[in-house]
Amino acid sequence: MLDKLALLGFGPEGWGWALLQGAGITISIALATLPFGLALGLVVALGKRSDKVLLRGLATAYTTVFRGVPELLTLYIIYFGIQIVLQELWRALGLPGSFSIPPFGAGMVALGVVLAAFSSEVWVGALNSIQKGQREAAAALGLSKGQAFRLVVLPQLIRVALPGLGNNWMVLLKETSLVSVITLPDIMFITTRANVVTKEPFLFFGAAMLIYLFFSLISARTIDRLERRANRGFAAFGGATR
Amino acid sequence: MKGFVRFVAAAALTLAGATGALAQAKEWKEIRIGTEGAYPPYNNLNAKKELEGFEIDYGNLLCEKMKVKCTWVVQDWDGIIPALQANKYDVILAGMNATEERKKRVDFTAVYSKTPIWAIGPKATKSDDISPATLKGKSVGTQGSTIHANYLEKFYKDSDIRLYPTQEEANLDLLNGRLDYIVADALALSDFLRGKGKDCCRKIAEVKRDDAIHGAGVAGAVRKSDTELKDMISKAIAETMADGSHKKLEDKWFKYD
Repeated sequence: MLDKLALLGFGPEGWGWALLQGAGITISIALATLPFGLALGLVVALGKRSDKVLLRGLATAYTTVFRGVPELLTLYIIYFGIQIVLQELWRALGLPGSFSIPPFGAGMVALGVVLAAFSSEVWVGALNSIQKGQREAAAALGLSKGQAFRLVVLPQLIRVALPGLGNNWMVLLKETSLVSVITLPDIMFITTRANVVTKEPFLFFGAAMLIYLFFSLISARTIDRLERRANRGFAAFGGATR
Repeated sequence: MKGFVRFVAAAALTLAGATGALAQAKEWKEIRIGTEGAYPPYNNLNAKKELEGFEIDYGNLLCEKMKVKCTWVVQDWDGIIPALQANKYDVILAGMNATEERKKRVDFTAVYSKTPIWAIGPKATKSDDISPATLKGKSVGTQGSTIHANYLEKFYKDSDIRLYPTQEEANLDLLNGRLDYIVADALALSDFLRGKGKDCCRKIAEVKRDDAIHGAGVAGAVRKSDTELKDMISKAIAETMADGSHKKLEDKWFKYD
């Protein structure tokens, strides 16, 4: 038993260091994707509520496609498909050398566009919860549309959207396990490699599970704190808003 | 707008004409090699995240012979050909058999390895016969997107064929009693039968090679446009066969029981 645990350690035969680096990749791709995906999601949500038919159509098409297509496929399309297209373009233009999409960037974009599709629905729900009267009041005070959104709507939006967005984050954290297919050495990548060498799948799957659980626990606590902060002054609602 | 498009097209054509000749005579000074890193003893990662295995030693040997600088890229099996086509690396050395199906998409160098194919199963398996009739309704596992998967899908339609992302998972399911048979490379399987599968399982029979499906053997894969690279590598492979260095590496890495 103890010699098996040594496989998870930091000795010459131990995979501990490799696993830690894998965990680093996992958390950094998730953190890098988050702001990009949430911001794009908000833009899509605003598109969905626009009074312009074209914008509404585009936003709806976007969520339909990226919620419908499996993330693995999105990842393949961006990492391989777009790369091949860009490369042909590069060659057609006669540029020297070659063009390459880095795996980290491809993973970030692929996970980000999917996160945007899912989070846009949360944003739409939150936007709907803010009554029209508030915007009218802001307009009456002489605020421009942009100012009204930034100063009046956005701060309230965060409070309502947080539980849903927290959910999106947890899903994102797990979906990062797909990036091993595009050569990023994340937790799952290291785990499968360790399995074939050591023939100890349960040990390593177990370790991977604990790492993911650890990240989830930290996330849950952080989201909880953020929610409590966002809800201050709304004590009357109790748990109803959570 | 139209004027702009025409300008871009003209500029592109001029540039393409100017560099076209250059691209033709590309000299290979640096080669990027793609491998899976999850298929011992051909190629795998160790605890220090370094690549090791027959193909790693052999690939480096080939580069030495060709006097080029080589770098390795680790890519999951499922995307290994798309990544070659997307120019993430220049050649695949990953225990890949040169099959007719793959030849539609990539070109292969000379063959540098050929392993027997085995069927293994639980020790209690009574018959050593592995004809499709005997295996009817039985569960047979192997790694997906491999020659073994193609072979099973063609000849064992009445069996319950289960495909796994890596060979390791198929082995695990045999160990768990979820599979009646595994069909795969003798190398990978004898490794398993010496280790984890020692008590549960045994070799049932050797599978007869079908060249149309199994191909001529394991070879390097390159993009169809890279004929010079293909010839260069094939020449280096021939050299290693002639001077005995290939045999030396085979003896170092491959042990059959």
